[in-house]
Amino acid sequence: MSFVEIKKLVKSFGPEVAVAGIDLSVEQGEFVTLLGPSGCGKTTTLRCIAGLEHPDSGDIQIEGDYVTSVSNEVFLTPEERNLGMVFQSYAVWPHMTVFDNVAYGLRIRRETRAAIKEKTTKALDLVGLGHLAERYATKLSGGQRQRVALARAIVYNPKVVLFDEPLSNLDAKLREHMRIELTRLQHDVGITSIYVTHDQTEALVMSDRVVVMDKGVIQQIGDPESIYAEPTNAFVANFIGVANLMEGKLLGHDGELTDLEIPLGDGRAPIRLRATGAEGAPVGAKIILSIRPEDILLHLEKPAEAMNLIEGEVIDTVYLGNFLDCQVQVGPHEVGVQIDHFEELDTGQKVYLSFTPDHGLCLTE
Amino acid sequence: MSDNNYLQVNHLVKYFGDDRAVDGISFGIPEGKFLTLLGPSGCGKTTTLMCIAGLHKPDAGEIRIGSDPVTSIEKRINTAPEKRNIGMVFQSYAIWPHMDVTQNVAYPLEIRNMAQSEIDDRVAEALKIVGLTDMADKNATQLSGGQQQRAALARAMVFRPRLLLFDEPLSNLDLKLREQMRVELKRIQHEIGITSIYVTHDQAEALVMSDEIIVMSKGHIEQTGGPHNIYARPVNQFVSNFIGVANLTEGRIVGNGGGGTGTIEISQGGENVQLPCLLADGLSEGDEAYLSVRPENVDASREPMDGPRIEGEVIQSVFLGNCLDCRVKWGEFEWKVLAHSRERLRVGEKVYVRLDPDHTLAVKP
Amino acid sequence: MATDTAAPQIDVAPPRGWRTWFTQENIITTIVGLIVAVAVIVPLIALVINSFLVLDDLGFDTEWGLQNYREVFQGRVIRKALINTAIISTGCTILATLLGVSLAWINARTNCPFREKLEPFNLIPFFLSPFVGAIAWHNLASPKVGLLNNMAKSIFGISFPLFNVNNLWGVIWVTGIFFAPLVYLFVVGSLRRMDPSLEDSARTTGAGLFRTTMTITLPLVTPAILSGAIIVFVTTAGEFGVPFKLSAPFGWETLTTQIFTKAVGDDANHYLGAAMSMVVGVVTAFFIWVQHRIIAPRSYTTVTGKGFRPNLIDLGGWKWLAFTYNMLYVCVAVFLPIICLFFVSLHKIWSGRIIWSELTFWNYQKVLFFWWPESIQAATNGIINSFILAFGGASIAMVVAIIVSYMIHRTKGFGARLLDFLSVIPIGFPGIVLAMGVLVTYIRTPIYATLWILLLGYITRFFPYGQRNISSIMMAVSEELDQSSRMAGASWLTTLRRITIPLLKPGIFAGWILLFVIFLRELSISIILYSAGTETLSVGVYYLSNFENEPMTSALSIAQTVALLICIVIFRKVAGKEALTA
Repeated sequence: MSFVEIKKLVKSFGPEVAVAGIDLSVEQGEFVTLLGPSGCGKTTTLRCIAGLEHPDSGDIQIEGDYVTSVSNEVFLTPEERNLGMVFQSYAVWPHMTVFDNVAYGLRIRRETRAAIKEKTTKALDLVGLGHLAERYATKLSGGQRQRVALARAIVYNPKVVLFDEPLSNLDAKLREHMRIELTRLQHDVGITSIYVTHDQTEALVMSDRVVVMDKGVIQQIGDPESIYAEPTNAFVANFIGVANLMEGKLLGHDGELTDLEIPLGDGRAPIRLRATGAEGAPVGAKIILSIRPEDILLHLEKPAEAMNLIEGEVIDTVYLGNFLDCQVQVGPHEVGVQIDHFEELDTGQKVYLSFTPDHGLCLTE
Repeated sequence: MSDNNYLQVNHLVKYFGDDRAVDGISFGIPEGKFLTLLGPSGCGKTTTLMCIAGLHKPDAGEIRIGSDPVTSIEKRINTAPEKRNIGMVFQSYAIWPHMDVTQNVAYPLEIRNMAQSEIDDRVAEALKIVGLTDMADKNATQLSGGQQQRAALARAMVFRPRLLLFDEPLSNLDLKLREQMRVELKRIQHEIGITSIYVTHDQAEALVMSDEIIVMSKGHIEQTGGPHNIYARPVNQFVSNFIGVANLTEGRIVGNGGGGTGTIEISQGGENVQLPCLLADGLSEGDEAYLSVRPENVDASREPMDGPRIEGEVIQSVFLGNCLDCRVKWGEFEWKVLAHSRERLRVGEKVYVRLDPDHTLAVKP
Repeated sequence: MATDTAAPQIDVAPPRGWRTWFTQENIITTIVGLIVAVAVIVPLIALVINSFLVLDDLGFDTEWGLQNYREVFQGRVIRKALINTAIISTGCTILATLLGVSLAWINARTNCPFREKLEPFNLIPFFLSPFVGAIAWHNLASPKVGLLNNMAKSIFGISFPLFNVNNLWGVIWVTGIFFAPLVYLFVVGSLRRMDPSLEDSARTTGAGLFRTTMTITLPLVTPAILSGAIIVFVTTAGEFGVPFKLSAPFGWETLTTQIFTKAVGDDANHYLGAAMSMVVGVVTAFFIWVQHRIIAPRSYTTVTGKGFRPNLIDLGGWKWLAFTYNMLYVCVAVFLPIICLFFVSLHKIWSGRIIWSELTFWNYQKVLFFWWPESIQAATNGIINSFILAFGGASIAMVVAIIVSYMIHRTKGFGARLLDFLSVIPIGFPGIVLAMGVLVTYIRTPIYATLWILLLGYITRFFPYGQRNISSIMMAVSEELDQSSRMAGASWLTTLRRITIPLLKPGIFAGWILLFVIFLRELSISIILYSAGTETLSVGVYYLSNFENEPMTSALSIAQTVALLICIVIFRKVAGKEALTA
């Protein structure tokens, strides 16, 4: 039995099904991220765990105890669940000082004055706000408010901390900084965390495990490396990082490798390529080839020997300093290529692309 | 040489109270080009734009469009904004909510008393260019942020102004849309060929869109050049730090190899390292300088490499999907290294850092 | 190389000195500022000066002195009036705050049934005349002619009068129920705009529903509650009609009723009236200053433009109690008074009992048919004058409001700051105080005893209401909307006509109707500044109440109330359902 167990969770808002039957288990001390586009049901799932929403059906257990069980008519109110939650809007109470905000949960638990003082100070030091304890929340910057919210959520040592897109209101630089900081803190405190975000980088950087969701359903669960390197379907491939997706036909298997062809249309001969994946699929099956832009090599001249050589024309280039994003037309497909050096490329220029078979991944529907 | 420029700004000065917001800057731009004023907030870029628009009156200096001096404080000329024939796109879109899209775009033409048939033609053409033909009858309040921005652009260019001014037009859009609109805006500007001045604090935006970038700080111009030039060869510490991410550390020029190359010495914890580098203009032996090198031009490996030896410890290794964002501690200094994600450097490992000499710069403090 | 960065350093001193002051925008704002300043400041200065002039015993000559103030604080009658005013204001503030906060919470945060239907009724007293409310409650609950008392007597056989509103408690009761919507408006908006995660986070931290409400929700709306309470206190201190009708005839005078007798009575003493007005004005202005400078800036729930869906609390079975409570309020504040007035108005003589056989519309003929020779002049004059004043006054005040708002928000000169300050001042002084100032200022000019002096008083006192309506929109509307019109080639005037004014249109209409309503029921300025021939609607009611009888008074009151109710319907149509409460 895992620390947090969610079984067959369903929640609708009117005719709209937000969560369509989710099963998820989270181990003690784990950092699990629910990742997906807006409207995928991730926040609703989180709010069901928090007790802020009543699910239509399903069970939620924390530490073996039912906190929600629709069939058994169990529903603990949010305050009975002993959880911590950090909100997108920080929700730091403006009429209290930083200290009072953080101490609130301890006062509710009727801790002694000395214990409150000690634990609050410790939590504030942990998030680096010890010197601002007496300041009012309205006088804090966005990043500082988020730290207060975090200290407030962990100070009474809850069973689980829930995060609802806590970094999305911060600017880019601060967000990057806070990602690292939050991960460090979570490791130090070792508290079980469930984190909701639509930002894939955030999910990759912070999580032990990522749960990719779309349309109220879980698409894939795995650690960041495997989610990125081995997406199980086209949605995950395209949502995590950027992927070039091209439809094609499976020609056969050769050990670990897979032969396939991509039709180019207009009477042009299809290109034959070697990649990996689609192990179980039969010959002739429809597959989708996924290649990351940074895994494609771009050649100005036709190379003497190269695996998976593709001919194309430059459509557009976008210079971003550390790399150059280049769109190349290959038959009906626009293939994105990322080059790590500066290159003068003209629109319409003929170029050659190649990739090694282990960088191409065949996905079945 | 400044006679070739379509827009010429000379010795522009603007005070706000005692604060010298724009401190005597001069620049120009040839016809049809896309110029970006880039800098942190408060650097004077927006004030400069407002002076060109005629919405602010400078305290000194002159502005010339073609052969028309629109502002010359010395000659007591300051043409009213409505007489300058300049199109402008604002940060808040500034789409008039009491009119529909067509009325918004037709407004500048009505002001100019054009015939209705011509107005219809021009509005249709402008809406087609920005891709809003289907939205012509929609009320401004029904448009999304990106659509409002397109409508604002159509309105700004429909009367074929002499200049197009952009005041951080994308900063209110979310990240995905912003990236998309950058490319789109650049394409449209290319298509209509109107000389454009663009103000932003977002360096990626400047790199992607501009023909020419002016980096500003504290009312001064720090550097002028094309995107690649600005990114690859920053002249000073400020530009190096503001554009992209850089490893910057204090050092001294100890050798001049001619042809713009030299040697810089940096030290950390009693350890001195001499590194081959490219010298910024005006630096010579014995000068205090900063070493500047981009994370993508720094390698970290477990085996020692040729050349100067820098040995450090990995203190952070964050998985970003396509790469690892690492920090290597060397004395008090932390090297930012972008390593390939397949390297799998672990925190605590001893590694050797190597800088690519072709991309290692010595820049002015 | 397209650019030339090697520009020589130019040294230009920052602009300084008086010459640079003369920009177009400074000149225009200053001229408009001066006109508004004269209208606002001169009456107040006149009030100060007159308050230090002491009338001699014969009532002919004056000399400088503090005798008037001594009279206010030490004179037996006026000192008692001062104390009564303090009691009434405090009592009313407590009652209105309790009512306003509880009703706002029920409507914004609970699942009380029919709350969307109840909300407009909760706001009706805000639009009606408290003076008429006092007349109604006099006929409902005065010891002799009170309908409720007589019904209690006949139904339950209670021999003594159950209620008595002819004292300070009666004034507190009527002002309290009529000013509760002021608190309601402040608080309900604040409750609706609150980010629900502020409460959610308390719940997840471990606080229960009750604790969350007491430690999070209520403290967060405290600034709004205080703002509402202060406005109620100030409004009550300046309220004339209610104490005049209910308590003054029975020996419970207030400062406002005393100011009135010193302004127009047989023993008129403008100088003493000015001193009393000063005392009221200084206190109210201080409170408004506190509200503007200390409380409002501390408001936690500012408009963020973000749409929040507030957390609704499930009251369970208690929701019907909440509903009953709200219905009770609507009954005593709206239905009961109007129904009572209506029945009284149908009698020729009112004896505290409905006599079904004697009902007649005769009173309505007397007060409404101005072409009829037997009509009562003061009443019919009042109707005509009030519509003229309300129409003209609202229109002129809105023009002033638009210009002043434009100057405050779109220019940066000294005049802009001056105007911003000036437009707060009239809010700090009750109508009767400002009217005293206007009276002593213009009493020797030709506009005295004309409709013009009333118009001047109305506009000076109430243009800030319209201005705030416009300003809130102007602040929400980005200046870039104007600037982009200039960039498109339109001149300043064209921009004003085609962009700025159209954008403000909803605010202009809403403000106009609000002022129309205020002017249509205005009493405390009118009562000081009217003379024979320039009566207003409320003065007509006053006249009938003083010199005719209750049925006729009720008839005119009903006529006024119907006109005001029609305005409310129009206001909701034009300004949208959430114009006041969002």
